[in-house]
Amino acid sequence: TVTEQSTSSPLPGVNVIIKNTTKGTATDFDGKFQIEVKKGDVIQFSYVGYIPMEVTYSGQATLNVQLREDAAQLSEIVVIGYGSTTKKDATGSVEAITSKDFTRGNIVTPENLLSGRVSGVSVTTSGAPGAGSEIRIRGGSSINASNDPLIIIDGLPIDNNGLSGSNGVLSSINPNDIDSFSVLKDASATAIYGSRASNGVIIIVTKKGKSTFSATYDAQYTFGEITNNIEVFSGDDYRQLVASQPIPGTTLNVNALGTASTNWQNEIFRNTVSTNHNISMQGALFKVLPARFSFGVTDQQGALLTSKFERRNLSLALNPSFFDDHLKVNLNANLAYEDNRFADSGQIGTALQYDPTQPVYDATSPFGGFYQHRSGSNLLSGATNPVANLLQTNNKGDLNRTYGNLNFDYKFHFLPDLRAVLNIGYDESQSKIINSATYATNDDVKGNSSFGNQTRTNKLLDGYLTYNKEFNTLRTEFTAGYSYQKFTNSGDDTGNRLDALSFPSSYEDPDVVLIGFFGRANFTLLDKYLLTLTYRRDGTSRFSKDNQWGDFPAAALAWNLSDEDFLKNSTTISNLKLRAGYGITGQQAVSEKDVFLNRYRAGDANSQYQFGNVAIQSLIASEINPDLKWEETATIELGLDYGLFNNKLSGSLNFFQKNSKDLLFTASVADGTNFSNSIIQNIGELRINGLEFSVNANVVQKEDWNVDFNFNATFLDREITKLALGQDVRTGGISGGTGNNIQILREGQAPNSFSVYKQLYDTSGNPIEGAYVDLNGDNIINDNDRYIKENPGADVILGFQSNINYKNLDLSFNLRANLGNYVYNNVNSSRAQYELLQDVAVPANIPTSVLNTGFVRTADVIISDIYVEDASFLKMDNITLGYTFNNITKNLKSIRVWGGVQNVFTITNYSGLDPEVFNGIDNLIYPRPRNILAGANFKF
Amino acid sequence: CTDDLNITPKDDQTTLSEELFTSEAAYKQVLAGIYANLALTGTDGAGSSNLKNIDAGTSQFGRVLLYVQSLSADEMIWSYENDPGTREIQRNIWTAQNPLLLGMFSRAHLSVALANNFLRETTDAKLDARNVSAATRSQITTYRAEARLMRAMAYYYMMDIFGKANFATEEDAINSIPAVYDRAQLFTFIENELKDIDADLVAPRQNEYGRADKAVAYMILAKMYLNAQVYIATDRYADCITYCDKITDGGYSLATNYLHNFMADNNTNSATNEIIFPIVSDGSTTQNYGPTTVMINGEVGSLEENGTALGVSEAGWGGALRIRKQLANLFGSAFANDTRNTIISANRPIEITDISDKDTGYVITKYSNAKSTGGFGIDQTFVDTDFPLFRLADVYLMYAEAHLRGGGGTQTKALGYVNALRTRANNTNTISSAGLTLDFILDERARELHWEAHRRQDLIRYNKFTGGNYNWTWKGNGSNGISLPTYFNLYPIPTASMAANPNLTQNTGY
Repeated sequence: TVTEQSTSSPLPGVNVIIKNTTKGTATDFDGKFQIEVKKGDVIQFSYVGYIPMEVTYSGQATLNVQLREDAAQLSEIVVIGYGSTTKKDATGSVEAITSKDFTRGNIVTPENLLSGRVSGVSVTTSGAPGAGSEIRIRGGSSINASNDPLIIIDGLPIDNNGLSGSNGVLSSINPNDIDSFSVLKDASATAIYGSRASNGVIIIVTKKGKSTFSATYDAQYTFGEITNNIEVFSGDDYRQLVASQPIPGTTLNVNALGTASTNWQNEIFRNTVSTNHNISMQGALFKVLPARFSFGVTDQQGALLTSKFERRNLSLALNPSFFDDHLKVNLNANLAYEDNRFADSGQIGTALQYDPTQPVYDATSPFGGFYQHRSGSNLLSGATNPVANLLQTNNKGDLNRTYGNLNFDYKFHFLPDLRAVLNIGYDESQSKIINSATYATNDDVKGNSSFGNQTRTNKLLDGYLTYNKEFNTLRTEFTAGYSYQKFTNSGDDTGNRLDALSFPSSYEDPDVVLIGFFGRANFTLLDKYLLTLTYRRDGTSRFSKDNQWGDFPAAALAWNLSDEDFLKNSTTISNLKLRAGYGITGQQAVSEKDVFLNRYRAGDANSQYQFGNVAIQSLIASEINPDLKWEETATIELGLDYGLFNNKLSGSLNFFQKNSKDLLFTASVADGTNFSNSIIQNIGELRINGLEFSVNANVVQKEDWNVDFNFNATFLDREITKLALGQDVRTGGISGGTGNNIQILREGQAPNSFSVYKQLYDTSGNPIEGAYVDLNGDNIINDNDRYIKENPGADVILGFQSNINYKNLDLSFNLRANLGNYVYNNVNSSRAQYELLQDVAVPANIPTSVLNTGFVRTADVIISDIYVEDASFLKMDNITLGYTFNNITKNLKSIRVWGGVQNVFTITNYSGLDPEVFNGIDNLIYPRPRNILAGANFKF
Repeated sequence: CTDDLNITPKDDQTTLSEELFTSEAAYKQVLAGIYANLALTGTDGAGSSNLKNIDAGTSQFGRVLLYVQSLSADEMIWSYENDPGTREIQRNIWTAQNPLLLGMFSRAHLSVALANNFLRETTDAKLDARNVSAATRSQITTYRAEARLMRAMAYYYMMDIFGKANFATEEDAINSIPAVYDRAQLFTFIENELKDIDADLVAPRQNEYGRADKAVAYMILAKMYLNAQVYIATDRYADCITYCDKITDGGYSLATNYLHNFMADNNTNSATNEIIFPIVSDGSTTQNYGPTTVMINGEVGSLEENGTALGVSEAGWGGALRIRKQLANLFGSAFANDTRNTIISANRPIEITDISDKDTGYVITKYSNAKSTGGFGIDQTFVDTDFPLFRLADVYLMYAEAHLRGGGGTQTKALGYVNALRTRANNTNTISSAGLTLDFILDERARELHWEAHRRQDLIRYNKFTGGNYNWTWKGNGSNGISLPTYFNLYPIPTASMAANPNLTQNTGY
């Protein structure tokens, strides 16, 4: 029997050959084999991804062999676009992450398996239950167009656009069904995906059916609590503050205050209990059909009152092969049901603001028994009770998603070197939104009741031919194929049915169709010199007939230096590969789908004009750009893969430069010649310089004692090298005023740099309210005096994770750090001023950080550089400790029990709640709770 | 199947132009689109915008016009200075980056683009090709004249506010780089254009409500002539008198009550006799954050919370708008019962020393979402009140002023007009011929026409906007007002607009 060393599970399909003969066989489903041998024969066992083994036969009746996974993983299969290669033969910057490398802990959505794990990849997730993430590979190569990577599940590129009623495109996918990720980073690896490859590619491979039976059951319980609040005044402090009358010229009404002391943040957040159960079974159906079935149940409570995420996943994989393995068929079928209840995260802001001297409930209140500022049944103007707003609102989103693919892989009978692969993919999500609410209001409309539906579909058909041929010392592989994909999106909404002025609406987006022809040639000479050439020609429906096709070539060279004679016998250097790649990738993912067409848009029911006091549906010509075309990114990369001391230490070092040109960018057009003042056009250039470094170390590798760690570092520098017509573009909308922007796009600067006034301080170092440095010296403080202070992008991103095994104990944790990322503290800038103690007609609370500045008026200070803060941080996302009981019964192979903590600690100088925010503007993100985890994993 | 790449829109609100004109009703709807650009900011509700880089609501035509003409002068204060651009406008410290100026420049030029588009789609060749019926074609003749009128009006405002404009006609292709016309060129173009379309426009008061007629063209001409000294350094007061007369000959009369002009039903009450051209607003079908919605919600006092009586929510926008001392002082004791005096002064200091302190300074209730017949507009935020862009009272005062400036006409008529306004306002203090002076006219214009987007133009004509002849509260960012350099008589060309058209040059001084 041949088994796998670490798990003792049988290995089917292992090649068993008697050395120097043609005699051989392969192991069966149970890892068993039979072969005729004579004493002294050397039997060779080999299996992809494992260290080959030779055993000299000494006459025993049975032979048990344990194959060890190849630590160097040089022969590990790495999935790449339309095919696979081995780590040794890879010419591009490709990182494969298999289940043993996954980040462990409270993983609800699949992308978090990668969190902090791969150099150049950042994953940012909010604290909302089931929340989607912002994934960035090498910082993103666009400004206005999408910076999301292309995500491919079993060959099906998915739509990055979410649905209303759902949390995110990956939220409906069960992380337990994932077998591995491949992260394609440089152009030579991604160019085969042409138009969608500029921001990298993440290929997700799900678990497949196997011939031998195994089953697992996972259970996980999560207990969460919010550990950090924004500090506002307590009831008593607030009463004192108001009595001190801190607003010059305005007298606050002390009599309006109550006697209670309510911490509204504590009232809107709760401790949560979440559960996660997964069952999976693998085995041969009818003894011949390898299959896998899994069922997952995730119930997540959100820390913010009433929010929750529930998901049910059913997944089936069938993986039969026919005609002596000439035809392999892979079927993946998945059903996902999400059941969400969304809580208005705007109430987090209301909780900061709401009067701390009043109680939550008021038995005499006509507003559902909740306290409200009122006189009789007439509500006073100002914020309303946040607890009431949460409990009296029920916004639900149900999502049904069906996705999967059918893959045929046929090795030609008459020409086994030639393979044909056909892949059919389908992904349909239907969401239903049901909103109902009661408002505390004086308006005639006292609530909301609305329904909505949305449907997105994604259909794929692609196929390719692969031809392998060896000529003496030259190995070649040629791939050529075609891909067709179509996305649709439509929906409707009833509007508020309690409001007579509200009306039903519907929408249907134009189809997005993407068609590609692609080819790749690999040449490997003497196993040492590698050349990969790829080419893709892509068409998109987003551009006019004249511009819809683009060409995306790439080339990469690699040199396995360690196979050269002068290094072959080195005991220090076990692996050394130099890589160089260049390629051009494209970008067409903009929200505009038909901007090249001559269109008119009719006003909706609220947007009509009146002729003769009769509403007439006006038709307004829509903005148009018939010349829109691809954004192009040229990437040059130099890389080095290394392995030292028998690959105990391995990793890579990459230097890259990405130059994006013809950026799809919304920029001004001459007024009067288009139907807007600004349209999407190809204008501007962006440059990213980067350095990535990673090291994987097996510090201790002994029989019952194993320590390894992974460290990765990414240095990124993004700079706008050319902008539309050389002019600045303001961006980064903030709260506190209508339409205020805090960020700027400017040539020579990083995207979204902060544009602020330079604060003046008095002699004792206190900021002077509304006083700024007159930078241009014209004696007027106006827009011309704003300067650039830092940007939200991190200069350095670090990741560290470690797995430690001692006998049956395992410990793993990960750390993540961002250095040099700045955040605009919009919570303080728009809330920490004394004038906000009065909220129209009612008292309101403000953050205690006002004590540091003494600021009174928001309008005078909101653009001050005092609010741009260094938000560098070090975080421990997860730590888990487990113990495995082995061979419990004949059928129950093992139980692993484990416990852990998520969001263990954050070290930062940032003054706000959490330094990790989206786009550098901290405006009350849904807080990330600290979770205590307990779980058990049963293997059968 | 690569043909699938050639898609067509599927949404029921979007139509390709080649399909659109298969229905002859479309011509009127596309014409309505040109008018709608004055009231709406986009096709999908008050929060939508077909302009970018400016908040949707603040890009509304009448709103930016109000900011540029009234907020910049001595009539109005906006409390929320964290709304971008407002601080710089009301303190006269604006720069070329001001988003409200971008809104003004881009919104007016969008009118030009929409009008040009209509003219391109209604050429004889196109109508022939589409076999348009004779009945529709005769209507299209009027529509085309109205489109040209709306284009001329946009250029009139650009001439006044920025002193230049991108000059594009139906001959200029989409996305081309247009020539730039200066004041003199614009003056000539608008003058010729308005005279050229006169024959095709409907007679005064004979068109459907909401659509422009001959009197709108006359009004623009009258205003150009009155300000011709400013625009082209030429005396055209006589022409002003001529065109004022053409308007009054059109059968207009003053509304029976001054306040009818500013009420929710000003599209049906006696104001329809007075209003020459409205920007339409409706709480249900034409929702917008335009000047009437802003002024009615904004004028609700922070102390008074008098929104209910004005037909909006009790607290409105919490005291967003107040008046400066100088406007308050124009309504002395002689105006205690003048219906144009809607000032609330109780418990309020007249001075605004701190702009964000909403309890200081007087508030007014000139505009309202209440109906003259009782009852209120349909919505409590979006008002039904139309904005009276041009009305007869303005014509009366223009006539009087042009007369005083030597444009001819008769003093009797001038005096009669001025006193008609007083009488209508229930003010018994009528004016004698001795009292009829240019300074009187300027003050009377403020009393009659405040918050109607005329003030900056008036002060410039009187040489009081810049320089130190007249300093009002917060002029030049001084709490008592300081002198402004002369170049502030024109606004700067927005940076973004200038970048997109290399033919545009910045106005002197900026």
